[in-house]
Amino acid sequence: MSMKERIQGLVKEAETYRSMSLLKQSKGKYMELLALVEKDPSTSKQKKLIDDIKSRIRAVDNEITEIDQATESPEISEDVQDLIRNLFSFSPNQATAAIEGAVALAKFGQYEKGVKELERLVKDGPTPLQAAINLLRCHLSLASPDVAVEQYKQWAVREELGKGDLKYLRTFLENYFKKRGIEAELPETGEESAEKADMEGKSDDILDLSSLGIQFEDGPYKGKTVEFDVSFQSGNKVSIIIPSNKKALVDLFKQGQRLSNIQCTSSIAIFNGSGAVSGKTKVTTGPKHGSYNIDITLDGR
Amino acid sequence: MAIFNAKDRVIECRLVFYGPGRCGKTTNLEHIFKAGKKYTQSDMVSINTKGDRTLFFDFLPMGLGKVKGCDVKLQLYTVPGQAKYSSTRKLVLKSVDGVVFVADSLEVRRQANILSLKDLQQNLAEQNMNIFKIPLVIQYNKRDLGDDGIPILPLEVLEKDLNSKLKAPSFSASAVNGKGVAETLKKSIQITLSYLNRELKWTQ
Repeated sequence: MSMKERIQGLVKEAETYRSMSLLKQSKGKYMELLALVEKDPSTSKQKKLIDDIKSRIRAVDNEITEIDQATESPEISEDVQDLIRNLFSFSPNQATAAIEGAVALAKFGQYEKGVKELERLVKDGPTPLQAAINLLRCHLSLASPDVAVEQYKQWAVREELGKGDLKYLRTFLENYFKKRGIEAELPETGEESAEKADMEGKSDDILDLSSLGIQFEDGPYKGKTVEFDVSFQSGNKVSIIIPSNKKALVDLFKQGQRLSNIQCTSSIAIFNGSGAVSGKTKVTTGPKHGSYNIDITLDGR
Repeated sequence: MAIFNAKDRVIECRLVFYGPGRCGKTTNLEHIFKAGKKYTQSDMVSINTKGDRTLFFDFLPMGLGKVKGCDVKLQLYTVPGQAKYSSTRKLVLKSVDGVVFVADSLEVRRQANILSLKDLQQNLAEQNMNIFKIPLVIQYNKRDLGDDGIPILPLEVLEKDLNSKLKAPSFSASAVNGKGVAETLKKSIQITLSYLNRELKWTQ
């Protein structure tokens, strides 16, 4: 291959990548070309050619910078915002779906709209604590810890949330900051203990439970505690799924049965509770086909 | 997982076009939108950033009409390919029913394909989904560039890199010219609906 053909080949490659916005690859080819031209005695003196290649490299560099600096939160129409909210709310529970939709908006760069929506859900929604936690998460991940602290202070002053909820949110923020070595001053919410405050004044005990440890009083698991992941939660009603191959466990749950020793694990606290089996159904469709869904209604405190 | 309304006999499922940045995911959807007007239910939604790069996702809803007595509705999505948009990819991948992995045939994108496929596997696993089980079709895009003297990877190399273990159906394509796009989509719909029938028994 002649020098001319090699140069033409590299220029073609570089320009093709550039047209596809594969800019780093384009720059790589131009650099390869520059090295080739500068090294070869037949072209190393051709100032015009070398200047042209360098100018193209600068142009590609500028495009790279422009892309790196481009906004990641473009203005999008109300219709598209609504679309995002609808497409990315998956829960069959309306209250949870509304929160998911608002969080999706924030994640897709519509931070202000998402935050507004979550603020509305804190104020008027059926699950204000859930909405408040997600609002803090949005501030922490998309804005800054200062914004989350300011939000918390506003809630504390305005008394929009109950003391129990505030205490819960405070613990949530404290744990978050502690893990990351962040120092922040949060206003006190009252004298009661976190556990007491958590449960006080809420009919639904809306803690985000991740698992339940149930101690059985009879049968093959007598005296043992078995851990189950929570598959769904709406207030104090939680569901667990037991695979069909664990028939002995499935048989231990009977409709109406009291469960007096349940260890409830949430992201920020573990507490003991009790409840009753409020439903037991076989899953007939989907990937969990054949498994059993056990609904448990936890007692309020 | 797809939504199946047994009463009205409607099934709605989600297909996601995945792959490295600038591999042609959006171009695939644009061609489907133009060529399949009678199946598309509204305009295609694209949210791009500088350089026509997908920032969040592209979205194209389609109605396939009746299949085995059931009204089949499709939602086609693309993910942003750039590595930094990992959380967005995870969100778009949520509740996915089938995946089209669009690989870039360019030699210079060999590593990017491999990393993107690993990213897909990881993001599916985070949602308790298995790349070996989910309906997956692989498309080797930009095959036309070979004719222009641009170095592209031979199909055997792409198959070895990406599909030696997965054994997914694969297609050559040139999405910019529309070649291979329909075949890829058709196969993806076919295996996804068949998978969903095993899971949801929607044809019964």
